Amino acid sequence: MNEIGGAPLFFLEFGDIVIYFSPFTITLFLLALVFSVFVLVSRPERQIDIAFGADAFYAKVISLSELKFRRFMSIACGLACMGAMVTGDLFDFTLFVSLVGICNVGIVAAVKSRHVQNAAYQYGLVALAGTVPMFAAAAMVAATTGTLSMLELAEGTIQVPLAARALLVLGVMGEGMAPFYAAKAEMFRAPGAPYVIMCSLSSLLIFLRVAEVILVL
Amino acid sequence: MWNEYSFGLAIAFACALIGFAALTRERDDLHKLLLIDLVETASLAVIALIGTDLAEALILPGLVVGIAELLALSQIYLTKEGYQQNPVKGLNIEVMMRSPAPVILSTILVVYGIILSGFTGGGIAGLGVVFFLMSRSFTGDFHVLEIASGISWALWVAAFFVFMFLPGWWYFALLGAAIGILLKVITKMSLVGAMWGETE
Repeated sequence: MNEIGGAPLFFLEFGDIVIYFSPFTITLFLLALVFSVFVLVSRPERQIDIAFGADAFYAKVISLSELKFRRFMSIACGLACMGAMVTGDLFDFTLFVSLVGICNVGIVAAVKSRHVQNAAYQYGLVALAGTVPMFAAAAMVAATTGTLSMLELAEGTIQVPLAARALLVLGVMGEGMAPFYAAKAEMFRAPGAPYVIMCSLSSLLIFLRVAEVILVL
Repeated sequence: MWNEYSFGLAIAFACALIGFAALTRERDDLHKLLLIDLVETASLAVIALIGTDLAEALILPGLVVGIAELLALSQIYLTKEGYQQNPVKGLNIEVMMRSPAPVILSTILVVYGIILSGFTGGGIAGLGVVFFLMSRSFTGDFHVLEIASGISWALWVAAFFVFMFLPGWWYFALLGAAIGILLKVITKMSLVGAMWGETE
């Protein structure tokens, strides 16, 4: 077996779906866990706008319902990240990634501002389009090799077609990596600091994990 | 090289490409959303090309994820465009009051649905009930329907517990699950049909 992230330390089996913790995946898992806890305990930042020409400033207030919704979405995003980091099943991985995508859209879209909503809508369209190559890649792997288990694919006896790998990267880029293309000022200028971090963190984690997946296949 | 699978894959990807090409030319936000939903269907076709039981097991989560994102996006679209209240006007199917045709059609649908049983049967029988309610502009108490829906849902879940913990009773559990999902889908669909014409 070609090991990218070190030898798996232990396996957790749910029928066909085997979750494995190698030094690489366990590091990413812990990172997602720590940041989820941070989101759980932190208070939202209050943005201050200086009024020009006067000795005054505006403080933006975040309503409790918005706070609750964004916190829930961030924690859900963290959980989805944790799942995506350790799962050993390719289709499972794509499902977790699309869950991360939905949560990221939710975090951004909770802000009641027209520009932010517009940006979130465009991001959502890309995320939705990203599911097409992603699921197609997982289906192609299943159809050509007969298995979806990363551990079995890592044996190296069956060759995964290059097109399937390319589609997987394309889909994951669209779905899970928010700031990769959506570095729109409107999105990240919105108030609510600790929650937007979850978008960036999930993108980073998923980028690292998909690199491992592609190398293992 | 060019076996059945490759042909199917080529056709599915061609469909997806046509959809994406249309997407690049489209400027209206709502139309973009609809086009992307269309492209999603092509990805379901690629999954279906696996052609084994596994395909069925993979299509369902794929479909659910797609629909979840679609719902989230349409909600964002409504907020973005400021459509807060958007009451549904009802379908206004004109049926003569004394005509027995709706009763006969609904009865056929319900009986056929019960014979089919399961999820599909529930859908067809529910369609019969929806049609009947719409043609009669039914206004009444939906509480009973909601209770029936809940109880049949519980029956369905209970049947699954029997599958897991008492596998010897599988036939009993199978019947329970089939009847449960049948009743559940019938009541849910008739609720949809009854609430459609409701004015706020």
